Amino acid sequence: MSEHSQPGSRPGVIHDLGYRHYDGVRDGTATIARTLFVTGLRHAYGLGRSGKSKVMPFLLLGMSVMPALIVVGVVVLTGGSSLPVSYADYTNQTQLLVSLFAAAQAPVLFSRDLRHRSIVLYFARPLAAPVFALVRWLSLTVAVWLFMSVPTLLLYLGALLSGLDKSDQTSALLKAVVLQVLLAMLIAGIAGLISSVSLRRGFAVVGSVMALIVLTGVITAVQAISAEEDADAVATAVGLFSPWSLYNGLADAWDAGVETFVPVDGAWPLAYALVALLLVAGCLLGLVARFRKVGSR
Amino acid sequence: MMNVTIAKLALQALLGRRRFYLLLAFPVLLIGLVTLITVLTDGDAAWEIVPGLGYTLVLPLVAILAASSVLGPEVDDGSIVYLLSKPVSRYGIAISKWLVALGATLVAGSLPIFVAALITGDTTRAVALFVGAVVAGTTYSALFLAISAVTRHAVIASLMFVLIWESLLGNLFTGIAWLSISQWGIRIGHALSDELPDPANLPWAIGASLVVTLAGVWFAGDRLRSFSLRGED
Repeated sequence: MSEHSQPGSRPGVIHDLGYRHYDGVRDGTATIARTLFVTGLRHAYGLGRSGKSKVMPFLLLGMSVMPALIVVGVVVLTGGSSLPVSYADYTNQTQLLVSLFAAAQAPVLFSRDLRHRSIVLYFARPLAAPVFALVRWLSLTVAVWLFMSVPTLLLYLGALLSGLDKSDQTSALLKAVVLQVLLAMLIAGIAGLISSVSLRRGFAVVGSVMALIVLTGVITAVQAISAEEDADAVATAVGLFSPWSLYNGLADAWDAGVETFVPVDGAWPLAYALVALLLVAGCLLGLVARFRKVGSR
Repeated sequence: MMNVTIAKLALQALLGRRRFYLLLAFPVLLIGLVTLITVLTDGDAAWEIVPGLGYTLVLPLVAILAASSVLGPEVDDGSIVYLLSKPVSRYGIAISKWLVALGATLVAGSLPIFVAALITGDTTRAVALFVGAVVAGTTYSALFLAISAVTRHAVIASLMFVLIWESLLGNLFTGIAWLSISQWGIRIGHALSDELPDPANLPWAIGASLVVTLAGVWFAGDRLRSFSLRGED
């Protein structure tokens, strides 16, 4: 993955800072991207930053893990034949914490470099703006996914330890993991885009909360009312407009243990999956465009 | 105690460009949704949304946005020291900023709740919810101002109070109603209309709201009095 530096291959790239000459082998874009990814992932949890910035992510993580521990304890002690909550539904039940984590940590990855203009220093190195944007998004996606998967894995371990059926649990877990990856991509895209546009930390957080929590609340309310009024098509169609309702709809269609107000069936699961992927693609295009614009200034 | 110039500056910070649209988005969203559902079904189905979504989610979010925009950006970029170096009482600064945040919360939070509740039909319950929303909005803005004066992570800390303490845990443990600003407001509204639930007792709700409001503004002033600049963490 390493290549020789080629001075003049791209104008404006600083290799030699002028202190000490170097003309050995240089690592390529892939190494820079990998380092940036790992740093971003660590920063999302406050690792490698001040003690204070570790408080929020780990407090939220602790709160989302605690119920899982309680559930495992109950199952082990009472010897039930199944978990009281499915893996996919556990993520749904703790959606407030997941959304809050993404809203709180997205500005760390997307706002700070832009607010303090240190983005110029990144782009002075051989790393293109689109790659930077995508790597940042990947860091946040993996951070959000880890946030969801830690309690899920604890549940799984607890289920296996208390002797529940291994193949059932494994297939349910795999379904949940696939859905969580999709959800993490969505949430990271939305929160990242909002944070890269709105640079004040407070407004970025409120904006993300609006897109992730308020919008979901509105959609859940509309779904409940339209299900009550027997307008099934409306209830299902409205679910296309929020990452959480997309997740729940797909989980319901895939039989992963989440019940929606109206069963998502027929061609709807395909529509849900397509909208989710288009939303991710749209957010990525937006991020790339945003960082291109900032980098060219 | 009130300083007109500081209030004017805070108002400008609040209404500056994009923030204003974000603040405006909440009432528009709430009233639009309630109108749509009232037209499509009936007022009683739409009523559920007003206390369920408008009161518990939109009102505190507006209060957070207002309280953190009058103080947050200045603390964030450190320009608050220029304000604090002026020979003005720190409590005066806190009160002026609080009044602006309060005005914004009432106009963009409580008033839309009243309008949305009126759209669903019943005037008595709309007035009751409005009174509750005014009390809760006042208390929220004072509390969130105090939080903004303490920490740079004011928005997240306030959100955790609202979403995790009041909503998530409040739904699980009914006892939290005694320590929940939104439930105090609901209790005061219950005195006017039986359509609202009755989570705590009335003197407690009034007293607690009053104490948190006064203590919040006083505490914000006190924090500004002994303010020390810290670097980005």
